[in-house]
Amino acid sequence: MSAKEQPVRIAQITCGAEYSGIQNEITSAAETVGAKMFYPDVALKDVKRAYKDFGLPVKSPDLKLAIARAQAIVEGRIEADGIFIASCFRCAEAAIVRNELRRYIVENSKIPVVSYSFNERTGASTLLTRLEALSTIAKRRALMAREVQVGTTMGVDSGSSTTKCIIMQDNEIIGTGWRPTTDVLKSADDVVSLALTESGLKLSDIDAIGTTGYGRFLVGKHIKADLIQEELTVNSKGAVYLANAQKGFATVIDIGGMDNKAISVKDGMPGSFTMGGICAGASGRFLEMTSKRLGVDITELGALSMESEGGENVPMNSYCIVFGTQSLVNALAAGYKPADVAAAACHSVAQQVYEQQLQEVDIKEPVIMVGGSSLIQGLVRAMGRMLNTEVVVPHHAQYIGAVGGALISSGFVDKKVKEA
Amino acid sequence: MKPYVPEYVGTVTKYVFVDSPNTTPQDIATAAYEIAQGVMIKETCFGCQITGSPEDVDRIISHLRVLDPYRIFIKDRGFPPGDSRRCRADLGGARPGYLGHEYEMSFIRYISHGLEETGGMNKTSLKKAAGQPLPLEEPLDADLLEKLFSEET
Amino acid sequence: MAKVFIYPATSLILSDLVARFGHEPLGSALSIREHVQTPGFDSPPIQMTSEDPQKGLKWAAVEVPSGIRGRMALYGPLVEEAEAAIIIDEPDLAFGCMGCARTNELLVFMLREKEMPKLELRYPASKEEGVTFVAKIKQFLKELEVKE
Repeated sequence: MSAKEQPVRIAQITCGAEYSGIQNEITSAAETVGAKMFYPDVALKDVKRAYKDFGLPVKSPDLKLAIARAQAIVEGRIEADGIFIASCFRCAEAAIVRNELRRYIVENSKIPVVSYSFNERTGASTLLTRLEALSTIAKRRALMAREVQVGTTMGVDSGSSTTKCIIMQDNEIIGTGWRPTTDVLKSADDVVSLALTESGLKLSDIDAIGTTGYGRFLVGKHIKADLIQEELTVNSKGAVYLANAQKGFATVIDIGGMDNKAISVKDGMPGSFTMGGICAGASGRFLEMTSKRLGVDITELGALSMESEGGENVPMNSYCIVFGTQSLVNALAAGYKPADVAAAACHSVAQQVYEQQLQEVDIKEPVIMVGGSSLIQGLVRAMGRMLNTEVVVPHHAQYIGAVGGALISSGFVDKKVKEA
Repeated sequence: MKPYVPEYVGTVTKYVFVDSPNTTPQDIATAAYEIAQGVMIKETCFGCQITGSPEDVDRIISHLRVLDPYRIFIKDRGFPPGDSRRCRADLGGARPGYLGHEYEMSFIRYISHGLEETGGMNKTSLKKAAGQPLPLEEPLDADLLEKLFSEET
Repeated sequence: MAKVFIYPATSLILSDLVARFGHEPLGSALSIREHVQTPGFDSPPIQMTSEDPQKGLKWAAVEVPSGIRGRMALYGPLVEEAEAAIIIDEPDLAFGCMGCARTNELLVFMLREKEMPKLELRYPASKEEGVTFVAKIKQFLKELEVKE
């Protein structure tokens, strides 16, 4: 951030953060991404009025205060670039308020909002991606508004399980690279050379580069990226671009290797989003374990699961990855067919995503599934049944972050041309 | 993690609130400054904050209470005055505790009145006054509610 | 002089009356002051760290939200120290340290459980009630002196 640049102002609407000992984690995470947290200033009369107007009869005074703070922003009395709503994990009262406030803000303002539940172990690194996404939307509106890729650009997505690379030219994908993530930089180098070979280009032919995913900073520095951006905004942009849903509403679901993301998008811009954090159960990792236990490659799990009707009758619970694996073993021991078990694992993951993530965003069609897990047909089918809709899986869905990176970074091509 | 070295260790900070037609917050602060003897006094919109050794703070408080005994109210504070961790200018908004004070100050005149009235009471009249009902608000009994409802209709 | 737990623990009125009538009020400020004046790791604003909710496990189980356990780490030691308590019914507009209804429920229960003199009442809603309110508290605090 340059000295002149104003920090992005993120309104903090939380209950319990100071007493969980994590307030400093929130503040530090915000500072790292060039943002500043602030408490919307309200008086007692505002609290009384907001509580009455909003109509949710909560008992905790700090939740009444949260309602007043949200109302002050929605009514325009206080300006904010983004809103961070969070409360203690396992607090039912706060979860109701958090969800209703998120809905209220999304429906009545254009300010991006992220909601989260924390415990005392929540660290700045966990919060970073979420706050960075809020900051991105505020700071990079012009870049994020891009709908067409120009020039020759590259996107690299350094994910927790896999590393992906995409090269695009004049709005077409011309090179791809995909590798499991081992050594972060080596995996990145490998996928970059795969994509360059496929496209028949040299690195010097690339006009701009964007990186995303867990390893975005390291890889970004290594390959001198023009854009280093978190995966929430990059993936959602890539998703609506590939699914041709850049206008109007869309919901993007990305079941990743370590966490799941659900993003509600309007006109190509993320409005509210959530990302699993407390526990990695019910993520793509569970499906990896399922395929290992069934003795099939993860790429074959989708086809296997489609041999079953859906596996809803197989007892399976992926809420916790340990107990989930146990139910997997039990199901096989009880004589269920591998295809049914595979489908049941898909159903269970879809169910957990539905219960844990999709309650925190507004589901609006089209529902777009992206990421490597969207190639597992049984998972897409299960999610579609759960949401009672036809889920869209765009081409190159497994490369979503890399596509988003290539698309958004093409904003730097014009800039470079101008500078030249 | 960064190590934390606290400041003002061993001190206490007290808020002094005043709600009176006769005494202004400035009067309170001025009176406190007069006998401060190096103790930190910070004037505020509601009175002042005093930070120092427990003995020094007690000495100043005893002096202030006499100025307007029924309308001066005192409370402990965890932070020293002007601490940036609690300052409105740094946080963007008031710390939550401020609103709690705002609430109690909205009816503090009843307490002032109570102090004034009970100030002159002897043992017997105090006991009698203390025996008056100040019931906890009971929710309306369901039968009573039904009766009231049927009477209205 | 008795140590009197005040509930709401952030109350200006109770803190003042208890001290004015010669006793020591035990409230949030004392615990916060202890945190703010103790060296350790920097964790602004109130110097509470993840260790506080862990300490709170003494009073609330692990499935209880971290914010409640953290607050209990502030109040638990004070309740143990308390020799008497004044409890105001329904502090629905006390924020921050008293901002969580679930913590407040547990706190009131702990105070009620403890064998010590207690006074439960509500805030006055008129000048007349102000007299009764102050008289009750004054009388209660005087009786504590007799017991001592």
